[in-house]
Amino acid sequence: MEPEIRGQLGAAVEEALSRLDGVLALKQQPVGSAPHLYQRDEELDLLALEPRYPMALVLDRLLDSFPEARLGVVARGCDEWALTELAKRHQVDLERVEIIGVACSHEQAVECRCAEPYPSTISVGVQAEGVEDALVAEHRRLSLEERDAFWSRQFAKCVKCYGCRNICPVCYCPACALEDEIWVERGLMAPPFPSLHLVRAMHMVGRCIGCKECELACPADIPLPILYTLMRQDAAELWGYLPGKSVEDQPPLLVTL
Amino acid sequence: MTETFQPRIVGFLCNWCSYAGADGAGIARFQYPPNVTVIRVMCSGRVSPEMVIRAFREGADGVIVLGCHIGDCHYISGNHRTAKRIPMLQNLLGYVGIDPRRLRLDWVSSAEGPKLARVVDEFVAAIRGLGPAGYRALAAVPEGALQGARQHGA
Repeated sequence: MEPEIRGQLGAAVEEALSRLDGVLALKQQPVGSAPHLYQRDEELDLLALEPRYPMALVLDRLLDSFPEARLGVVARGCDEWALTELAKRHQVDLERVEIIGVACSHEQAVECRCAEPYPSTISVGVQAEGVEDALVAEHRRLSLEERDAFWSRQFAKCVKCYGCRNICPVCYCPACALEDEIWVERGLMAPPFPSLHLVRAMHMVGRCIGCKECELACPADIPLPILYTLMRQDAAELWGYLPGKSVEDQPPLLVTL
Repeated sequence: MTETFQPRIVGFLCNWCSYAGADGAGIARFQYPPNVTVIRVMCSGRVSPEMVIRAFREGADGVIVLGCHIGDCHYISGNHRTAKRIPMLQNLLGYVGIDPRRLRLDWVSSAEGPKLARVVDEFVAAIRGLGPAGYRALAAVPEGALQGARQHGA
């Protein structure tokens, strides 16, 4: 981390800790780093920004565990959008959350194929330019047969670990359709017809904020975000709906015409 | 071969409009192909994407969803959801390489028996043109894999 960024991050976290019960951020460990709930007067020397973690998911659990607490969170753009989607669906109370926004670098945006690598308010770092997802643009140019061949190959790799769902910051249903034998048969691998992936993709409409955690989590490297991004682009075109932008915008599939 | 191909089609018909429309078509003796297996639902808004996906997974060559015209829904806005959900599902099918024309949404009122016959006629002809869906590895599904689901009465 550059000294300037480290200074901004430390100052922002320290300032937030003076007012809040805790701040969720990454902390360097002997190997790598992990999410940590910083408390007042704690050493901030080991604050970290890498690698990416689904901070919204961790914060959601912390808020449930400490129902009285007001917490801060060091959040990238995608973490902020995830929190917005969760708040819209009454999973997170934003009154109890303070976001310390971190802008990603252009290099990070390239790595994530992210078009908007910054939150609405930036406290740490400088706004960098995003990139269009070339894989999505390429997929739009494929023929039906090519798409069939591509996804047959991808879905055949699925080991049904449910990693894509478990890591997803906007998946929270206690009873999941993907575990219901009516929709996804048990004991077959890879799923012979991609019910699991199609059902999940439909559930992502108006919800997926494009953080690509599912792709990182997938042990079989299935590029699921391609599918979700295509659907997100369609929802934007059809109904002008962009997930994660405003708590007031209602998900299109949940409301009437 | 294509001449003997009989498409297997699942139709989800809303109880208040389209199912009554189908009844009307029968009473008026309108001829239409018998390829559609009708499932009566209380509202086209009841048809979740899971149900359509399951129909394809079980080997349907096409799925047709018929509901009340917008504004005529017995539940006021059930079909509004259908009107958004099904086009989205059509897009998704297209993205994974399943011809989106295999899923059709239309509105048929209880007075539109002739329209029902025409829509089904068109759809069966379209699926006949597309040929069998031939989903990958469907034959590899062991007998009874969805047994539990059947016991649920799904």
